[in-house]
Amino acid sequence: MIDNFALLLSHGLVLLTCWRLLSRDDLDREPDPAEEAARTEATPPEGIPGPGGWGRRG
Amino acid sequence: MRDLVFLAYLAAIFAMGFRRPFLFVLAYAYIDIVSPQRLSYYLLNSIPISLIAFMLAAGGWLLTDDKTNIRLSVRQVVILLLLAYCGWTTAHADFPLEAATKWSWVWKALIFAVFLPLTLRTRLRIEALSLTMVLCASSIIITGGIKTLLSGGGYGTLNLMVTDNAGLYEGSIISTVAICIIPLILYLSNHGTIFPPDWRTRTFGWGLCFACLLIPIGTEARTGLVCAAILAGMALMRAKRRFLYGALMAFGVIAAIPFLPASFTERMGTISSHQGDESASTRVEVWKWTWDYVKDHPQGGGFDNYLQNKLRYMTTRTVGEGSSVRVERIQVEDHGRAFHSSYFEMLGEQGFVGLSLWLLLNLLTLIRTEGLRRRYRGRVEPHLAWVSPYALAMQQGHIVYLIGSLFVGIAFQPFIFMLIALQIAASSYVGRMEKDANWSPLSRRPALQPASA
Repeated sequence: MIDNFALLLSHGLVLLTCWRLLSRDDLDREPDPAEEAARTEATPPEGIPGPGGWGRRG
Repeated sequence: MRDLVFLAYLAAIFAMGFRRPFLFVLAYAYIDIVSPQRLSYYLLNSIPISLIAFMLAAGGWLLTDDKTNIRLSVRQVVILLLLAYCGWTTAHADFPLEAATKWSWVWKALIFAVFLPLTLRTRLRIEALSLTMVLCASSIIITGGIKTLLSGGGYGTLNLMVTDNAGLYEGSIISTVAICIIPLILYLSNHGTIFPPDWRTRTFGWGLCFACLLIPIGTEARTGLVCAAILAGMALMRAKRRFLYGALMAFGVIAAIPFLPASFTERMGTISSHQGDESASTRVEVWKWTWDYVKDHPQGGGFDNYLQNKLRYMTTRTVGEGSSVRVERIQVEDHGRAFHSSYFEMLGEQGFVGLSLWLLLNLLTLIRTEGLRRRYRGRVEPHLAWVSPYALAMQQGHIVYLIGSLFVGIAFQPFIFMLIALQIAASSYVGRMEKDANWSPLSRRPALQPASA
């Protein structure tokens, strides 16, 4: 029972990880830093804290 | 039934791998860590899934991956040298059959550690492998954590799904690894992009950290307690309100003691008085034997050469009850005891050359990761902000591993070599970014700005 719960939870999350990676272009190609910086300034990701906060620098 | 579920599960991951070949790398890591063949009964045991996954991962990389600017780092070369040396000692081993058995998994772990950084070319890939490793380890840690909460566990009695006590399923090893990955879990729950930080990610992350802390209690592995104390110390060093958090931690530990199983507190009490404990006394004797052995065989005796040791030593035990309690000295004879230390494992099996290479690898890893942490501290650009916190998490985990290694023979643990590969990949990634974009982290100029601007 406990074993099956742990296996189901962990394996489910690994599968979900793989599923989410399927739709990520940046898995195989690193986005251009300048493009990424411009995109981040335009739409800062919510709730992802960097060490000093995202997009603080102009 | 379980066999069919695992087979369908692997088929699903492999199917996704044909769309994004990097997923084959994750599939191999999953098979290596969780060993689904050992959790099933027959079907998976008859299929070489590990070999299939590796062939697919290597084939996917060879055929589809971008290989521009590819080069081996110094640490990858050190791993290759270590691999070659281990191959030589295996050919000249004191126990050829046993050595060949260990060699059969060691070479795979080392080759995979050299291969991994070649595939981990993007930030997302580094995160994906880190996350997959944590989740795979969580399958053992969650079950161990829940069983500890419900039953209290016990030394050698906590059932971690399989009974053969090998790989990550061994009590002392999972205790060390569980504490070692806590910083990585916290990093992923705060900086992840696959599962962005929200209440669900953080709840799972904190729950998993709690389960990790329960593993040393459940397995009653003293090494885990030492590792947890070291990690707490490192966390406090970085904390702004270290006295407040230190006091809270101390209060938490004191408050938890009444809830700990009596056998756990008794066993932890032997950390400072190893003379009364046969297991700890044996270690000291094995280490003495190893030192004497390498004085005569500086090249090492090959894998599992500890099998030839014969130990005779004095230990103490308490006999009688009440007012008639007395301490007796008794002589213990033992033979074929394992090294119980990665340092002595390397020294005894691979001699001074192997130990030097292994120490160099670990030292370089610590130095390079510390370099990354310092150079990218405070960076806020999206493609750089993750580097310093990631390096810190990996560095703390690696220090925990090196401390745990003092008492556990995990010098060639594949999971640890994957963690080292991740650290090599992070260094190589940053090196490529610097070269590609011609930016300098020290100058703190915006990315891609010409040096003359």
